[in-house]
Amino acid sequence: MTSPATSFPGSPLQICKDCGGGAPVDAHFCPQCTKILSIGRHGDYFSFLGLPRKLNVEQNDLEQRFRGLSRQFHPDYFFNAPPPERRASLERSSYLNDAYRTLKNPASRLEYLLQLEGVMAGGPGRGTGAPGKEEGASKQVVPPDLLEEVFALNEELDEVRDMRASGTAPDALKARLERAREPIETKRAAHEAQLDELFAKWDALLERGAPDAERRPVLEALRERVLERNYITNLLAGIEREMSENV
Amino acid sequence: MSKVVGIDLGTTNSLVAYVKDGAPVVIRDKGGDALVPSVVSASEDGTVFVGREAQRRLLTDAARTVYSVKRFMGKGLEDVRDEASLLPFRVGGDAGGVVRIGLGSREFTPPEISAFILRDLKHRAEAFFAEQGEIDNEVDRAVITVPAYFNDAQRTATRDAGRIAGLDVMRIINEPTAASLAYGLDKRHSGLIAVYDLGGGTFDISILRVEDGVFQVLSTGGDTHLGGDDIDLLLMHKVLAEIGWSQSAEKVQEIRRDVIQAKWDLSEHDETQLNGKRFTRAEFETLIRPIVDRTLEPCRQALNDAGLDAARVDEIVLVGGSTRIPLVRKLVGALFGKTPHSELNPDEVVALGAAVQADILATGNREMLLLDVTPLSLGIETMGGVMSKIIMRNSTIPATGSEMFTTAVDNQTAVDIHVLQGERELVADNRSLARFRLRGIPPMPAGLARVQVHFQIDANGILSVTARELRTDIEQTIEVKPSYGLTDDEVERMLLDSFEHAEADFSARLLIDARNEAESVIQATEKTMRSPEFAGIAAHDLAAGEQQRIESALAALKAVLGGDDRDLIHDKMHELNDATKHLAEVAMNRSVQAALSGRHVNEM
Repeated sequence: MTSPATSFPGSPLQICKDCGGGAPVDAHFCPQCTKILSIGRHGDYFSFLGLPRKLNVEQNDLEQRFRGLSRQFHPDYFFNAPPPERRASLERSSYLNDAYRTLKNPASRLEYLLQLEGVMAGGPGRGTGAPGKEEGASKQVVPPDLLEEVFALNEELDEVRDMRASGTAPDALKARLERAREPIETKRAAHEAQLDELFAKWDALLERGAPDAERRPVLEALRERVLERNYITNLLAGIEREMSENV
Repeated sequence: MSKVVGIDLGTTNSLVAYVKDGAPVVIRDKGGDALVPSVVSASEDGTVFVGREAQRRLLTDAARTVYSVKRFMGKGLEDVRDEASLLPFRVGGDAGGVVRIGLGSREFTPPEISAFILRDLKHRAEAFFAEQGEIDNEVDRAVITVPAYFNDAQRTATRDAGRIAGLDVMRIINEPTAASLAYGLDKRHSGLIAVYDLGGGTFDISILRVEDGVFQVLSTGGDTHLGGDDIDLLLMHKVLAEIGWSQSAEKVQEIRRDVIQAKWDLSEHDETQLNGKRFTRAEFETLIRPIVDRTLEPCRQALNDAGLDAARVDEIVLVGGSTRIPLVRKLVGALFGKTPHSELNPDEVVALGAAVQADILATGNREMLLLDVTPLSLGIETMGGVMSKIIMRNSTIPATGSEMFTTAVDNQTAVDIHVLQGERELVADNRSLARFRLRGIPPMPAGLARVQVHFQIDANGILSVTARELRTDIEQTIEVKPSYGLTDDEVERMLLDSFEHAEADFSARLLIDARNEAESVIQATEKTMRSPEFAGIAAHDLAAGEQQRIESALAALKAVLGGDDRDLIHDKMHELNDATKHLAEVAMNRSVQAALSGRHVNEM
């Protein structure tokens, strides 16, 4: 069963169910009997793919690893194998696909890392790598950096609704909504730039094996950015909804 | 060793193929025909006919003949009510349950009807292998294809059909993906491919990346209710509007046959005859434009899901008979900005790919690997009738997802879960796959239980569910009630039933073979005589009275075709063959000359 307690840093072994031998936690095949290992204790999505926990991932490298591992344990290649190996291949392929999907996209990769590092709720145990429910509550709090924009936008949206009720032409409403979107889009661009910077900072810390005390503040800053981004996304979706009301 | 095959179970036609010396080959009957019409008919005495014979019976006994059954797979009565009213056969069933189709005096579920077709393909392949001198000619394992956009219920229904036909269904694979395999866009190639598959009843678009022999689907889209059938219906409406709507079922089938012929003609010629009137390609294109346009939006969506511009796609592969229509080629070419591939027969390419996949599974051949995706998001019903997504669409399969549940009242020992598939917000707008009940949760205060429900989509794109209460680590029992499917017991019973109701016996089968062969000879002759260059041939090359001799031999064969005398059919067929021998030579020479002089036959 996958659960947040999957990776015990102190005990890097998994047990081969076939021969009973030990294998490194990130091995896919038993070093003793060469059989495919069922997914028992395993590492995380990064280590499963043989990647460091960096936030910048080289897309081609990720694709190549994904294809290479698929070729090693896809269920097609275990079709005639005994049931335990077939099951192991299904489990391992599923985990690989989930890992690939999560790490391919920078946004889900970041959220996954934050969960893995314990600064964000949700937990890496969830097979989908989707953000946990607990986060929902914190989304409601307006991030301080956005207070001004949110205020202005809400006023604007109220006015647009009033105007629509009093029969203003759709074109005029659309123009207002377009204008209202501008400051949010500007905020988003700034936000992306900040994220890029933090990504590079995290990767550099990781590379030189910086201690936890140095990493923690970067993780916290990243978490703030994620919450902020979720909020920006919601705001933009709100404008989008208002636009579609228009037609 | 028993044999493995790949089967394309189509809306209009079905085919079977196998791999010979590393290359996929379609299995043909004696007349050289690879297509088995997906038509099933029952005679008064309960004998069941499949394929060409059943298709013929559409014109004489429409009410006892079933076609396009693929459109009913995995469906409930409420899904198909509108469509059923247009078909000559009975469509019934209980509200909220699986559809039942009347075939003669009995009722069958769509998987059972499909099983008749699959069994016919199985026999066809077995007869072929026996003739090849194979010692063990039994065909017991198969890969069967489905539209990429089929949901879980439709896939499961297809797998059930295979089981009822006595086949071990090794894998269900997607038609466009199979087609890409057959195109052999393999190790030598790499790049982005779009497969556009417009069949008889369904439309699919898949975008793939091919690299190192791995065929990875990036996104897929489509419409499981859009195809050549819709074009036929439009044309039938046109004719019925002209001659009056109240016609016998057999007359309607005759019209259907004629509009299909006209549709085919217009793929090759600029005009044809329909209902005794001139019908041009331009008129045809204006009429069907809305249908072709409906395929373009899913293409754009699939490109968007893959994060690609149309211009990035390197190659376009066309699959399905409807892609022979010039307008389809033109619009698809325009959307992607390049000319689509058409080297392989669009009717056969899917079966060829299925054979390749069957070979991979049976032999462990590792040259190629298919990585497909799930076409629709999977989720569960949450508070307020909203769907909560657990596995997103276009996720590479196999894929997993899990969700935590708890209890609402003290000592609650069971939880009900409703599984859904689709992209919409509200439960009511999505497909209900199954309802199940988690039982055996140990009694404890409300909210304390932590039941983890684990969803697994396997390499067939089919879902299975397991659950575990984490505090006590007790595995939960799950009773799944498929919303529009069959239980394992039902499938088992249908398999047994199918043994009891024997099909047409051996001599009946030989008669059918003879009719099929004769029919292909008739078709070939009529096609030649209808062709624009025939008038020229008749005037310059045929001897006096030769055309009359051909026509009377043709009429003689047609007259005996419906009878039960196999030898007589054979005799008349040979007479027609003799009569047309000279004509065939002349026609052949003309097209060779045309090819050599670089001119198209039509220009002569």
